[in-house]
Amino acid sequence: MGGINAVQRTSTYLEKVEEKDPEINSFIEINPKAIKEAKQVDEGKRKGRLAGLVVGVKSNINVKGLRATCASKTLENYISPYDATVIERVKAEGGVIIGMTNMDEFACGSSGETSYFGETNNPAALGRIPGGSSSGSAAAVAAGFCDVALGSDTGGSIRNPSSHCGVVGLKPTYGLVPRYGLIDLAMSLDQIGPISRDVYTLALMLEVIAGYNPKEATTLKVSKKEYSKHLNSDISGYKIGVAKEFEKVTDPRIMKIIKKSLKVLESRGAEIKEIFLPNLEKGLPTYYLCVFVEFFSATRKFDGRRYGYRIEEVCGKEVLRRILLGKYISQKEYSGKYYKRALQFRSLIKEELLKALEGVDVIVGPTVPKLPHKLGTEIEDPLVMYGYDLLTVPANLAGIPAGVIKSGEVGGVPVGLQIQAKPLDEQKILNVMFALENS
Amino acid sequence: MRTDIGFEIHEQLNTATKLYCDCPTDYRNAKPNTNICEVCVGIPGAKPFPVNQVAIDSVIEIALMLNCEIVREPIYIQRKHYDYPDLPSGYQRTSLPIGKNGNLLGVGIWEVHLEEDPGKYDPTSGKVDYNRSGVPLVEIVTAPDLHTPEEARNFLKELTKVLSYTGKVRSEGGTMRMDTNISIEGGARVEIKNINSIKGAYRALKFEITRQKNLMKKGRAVKRETRAFLEAQMITKTMRVKEEAEDYRYIPDPDLPPLLISQEKIAKIREIMPEAPHLKLERFMKQYEIGRDDAWAITSEIEMADSFEEVCKSMPEIDPKYIASFFRHLIKKKLNYDNISFRESGLTSEDIKTIISKLNSKEITSSGAELAIRGVIEEKKPASVIINEKGLTRIEEEDVVVKAIEEAIKENPQAVSDYLGGKTEALNYIVGQVMKKTRGRADPAEVLKALKARLK
Ligand SMILES: [Zn+2]
Repeated sequence: MGGINAVQRTSTYLEKVEEKDPEINSFIEINPKAIKEAKQVDEGKRKGRLAGLVVGVKSNINVKGLRATCASKTLENYISPYDATVIERVKAEGGVIIGMTNMDEFACGSSGETSYFGETNNPAALGRIPGGSSSGSAAAVAAGFCDVALGSDTGGSIRNPSSHCGVVGLKPTYGLVPRYGLIDLAMSLDQIGPISRDVYTLALMLEVIAGYNPKEATTLKVSKKEYSKHLNSDISGYKIGVAKEFEKVTDPRIMKIIKKSLKVLESRGAEIKEIFLPNLEKGLPTYYLCVFVEFFSATRKFDGRRYGYRIEEVCGKEVLRRILLGKYISQKEYSGKYYKRALQFRSLIKEELLKALEGVDVIVGPTVPKLPHKLGTEIEDPLVMYGYDLLTVPANLAGIPAGVIKSGEVGGVPVGLQIQAKPLDEQKILNVMFALENS
Repeated sequence: MRTDIGFEIHEQLNTATKLYCDCPTDYRNAKPNTNICEVCVGIPGAKPFPVNQVAIDSVIEIALMLNCEIVREPIYIQRKHYDYPDLPSGYQRTSLPIGKNGNLLGVGIWEVHLEEDPGKYDPTSGKVDYNRSGVPLVEIVTAPDLHTPEEARNFLKELTKVLSYTGKVRSEGGTMRMDTNISIEGGARVEIKNINSIKGAYRALKFEITRQKNLMKKGRAVKRETRAFLEAQMITKTMRVKEEAEDYRYIPDPDLPPLLISQEKIAKIREIMPEAPHLKLERFMKQYEIGRDDAWAITSEIEMADSFEEVCKSMPEIDPKYIASFFRHLIKKKLNYDNISFRESGLTSEDIKTIISKLNSKEITSSGAELAIRGVIEEKKPASVIINEKGLTRIEEEDVVVKAIEEAIKENPQAVSDYLGGKTEALNYIVGQVMKKTRGRADPAEVLKALKARLK
């Protein structure tokens, strides 16, 4: 980013946010020190791979001195006393944090509508939901309010809004990026990842935040990789797996767009192979059972003693539903029936995906099986809402990486292509994305 | 009526840092909420560090000392959910059993776990001190193999000894907490919580047995319930009945991969772990041909037992029986009197060897030896220095002793006439006076002999 004036860049973004974010509502809080931090970059006091890049941060990631509200009244006044590990890394590489982005409350949602601070609009298809739960991060990137944003993905929360907003996003392998400082939804599924407008910036942010954290029990002990340096749009010889099951569950208008992209990949030398994912649809109930139980556990600390409000007394409908269901199914008398069964199914789905990946480099398909609904549409049945996650949850259940890039549009609404790969094969995903970006 | 008693015992492990973070474990002397961080206070987003390896190893060693099998399958750390002000995240982390199926003094040890301590809540001020939050604990669950409060007390004493032998639990004392369960034939099982000492356990059981037997005598049922022990009043009181039993909604903690304990690790710990106190006792009796009481006194502390063996080894010319008696009657007695441990006393094997060798060569008397031990403990100086400084060397010159005898006779006419009148014990009093005058340097046996001759 040499030669670019960070202060200028940051203030341009800030002006744009001030002018246009009232309509989008992608930020909950703006970093009052953003300009000061940018100045340090220009003065050479802060250097690194992200020097001068303007970064939005999802409101469930701790940034010292800013509020990590999780878009909930519960944490309305919670000011982070520390930096998440990813934030330490972003700061160390010269990234300028512009503010905390809007999201579904406690990351419980796939629409961007459940925030205590109001719903977020979709800059790429105004009047429609941006998707969620990293709604503000994807919308801010799509609206041009920052260069790159951090989101979190538990069952599609980076990929779903990236698809709806027409930007690029990546959920890394479970354990590749430290979770230290990420406020929990479901600990065994949560991963922090980047959202950007271009694949290079996405790769750059990923290499900055990825890597072992000795002070965290679930990060992987792998050496640092330079994804941006190794970006390669030559994907000839790549074996691309496509499952018949995708077509069965996806809106045909979306499938049509995805198939076009598959043709493009084929034309660039990739080989399309059919794979089988017979348990694909079992992913959703399995996922939600795990989420309910883990989320119930994670929210016990919001008991009203330390953070102002007891979560059950102030949270929205969806958060409350998950807490109560989690409390119900984790009862001693049911745990065998629900949670333990869910864990068994989870292993099954993981095995199936890993087996399917054995014969191919990546699996390519749609990200979301349906188009984003219009803001203001009342969706009373939670199962209809959960249906948005059908194609994204398997990657979380299996712990594999998955990226999203815009494939095309249906009547002006972006449709994202999802690329899944073996654990730690982020480079292949990025390369496929890079190939599509350059064609 | 058959009575079955079992325990769940918690003791803090002696680690420098907490179980899931790097904070120091000192919560007694540190100012409230100074040894804390995001992790042990449960700040949103904080995650546990990998489990403290020293704590895991300590629990393995304790489990092995209690004859347990070590679990070789993945051991999950569970979240136990309950709502209390001292619990920063609304759950406590507790491992599935690390050791299983052990025994001590014929009492079954069902399970040995690794747990974390919560913070400390003061209901009066409503304040919580999180310095203790995350301090590692070992939890030991016994079978209901005990039958009387006395048996229970002996078992707990032996268990404390085993734990202290390992050196893996905090030595300052008063950190043991336990729950006990008791069922008397014909009644339901009752659990008693809030017991903080062996004495407390004994009293709680005594009270509870009387209470239950009285109910039965009146033809009333003993309900299944959980009761709290109120130490000050020495009674137990209902906490909750069975129907309200808490559901902790255990789940494996997703933030922590399960523990896997290797055969090599177990072998390594087995190699360095100390001999169990009851085995040491048996061995001492056999190897040194000493009595059970001597062996019991000496093995009450591993440091004292080690010292005894060292002294025996480096003084082959002296009968171990004599050394054992010295440990029991001179050292242990003084420690008991001062209510301190051997370790706290500062006595070294070197001190003990010095005193025994001087005693053996009659350079000092047994009273001199007693004074030397006292001097070492109180003045924290080596025995050789104490003996010199205090002039404890035995008086050889007969005239000094003779002079002291004459003085003592003169000053205690009553005792003299009592003795002459047939009260032989009066003579012991006069011997004591002579010893006092010579500051313990005279040989009491010699003095007695001389006195008897003088007063004939
Ligand atoms: Zn700590």
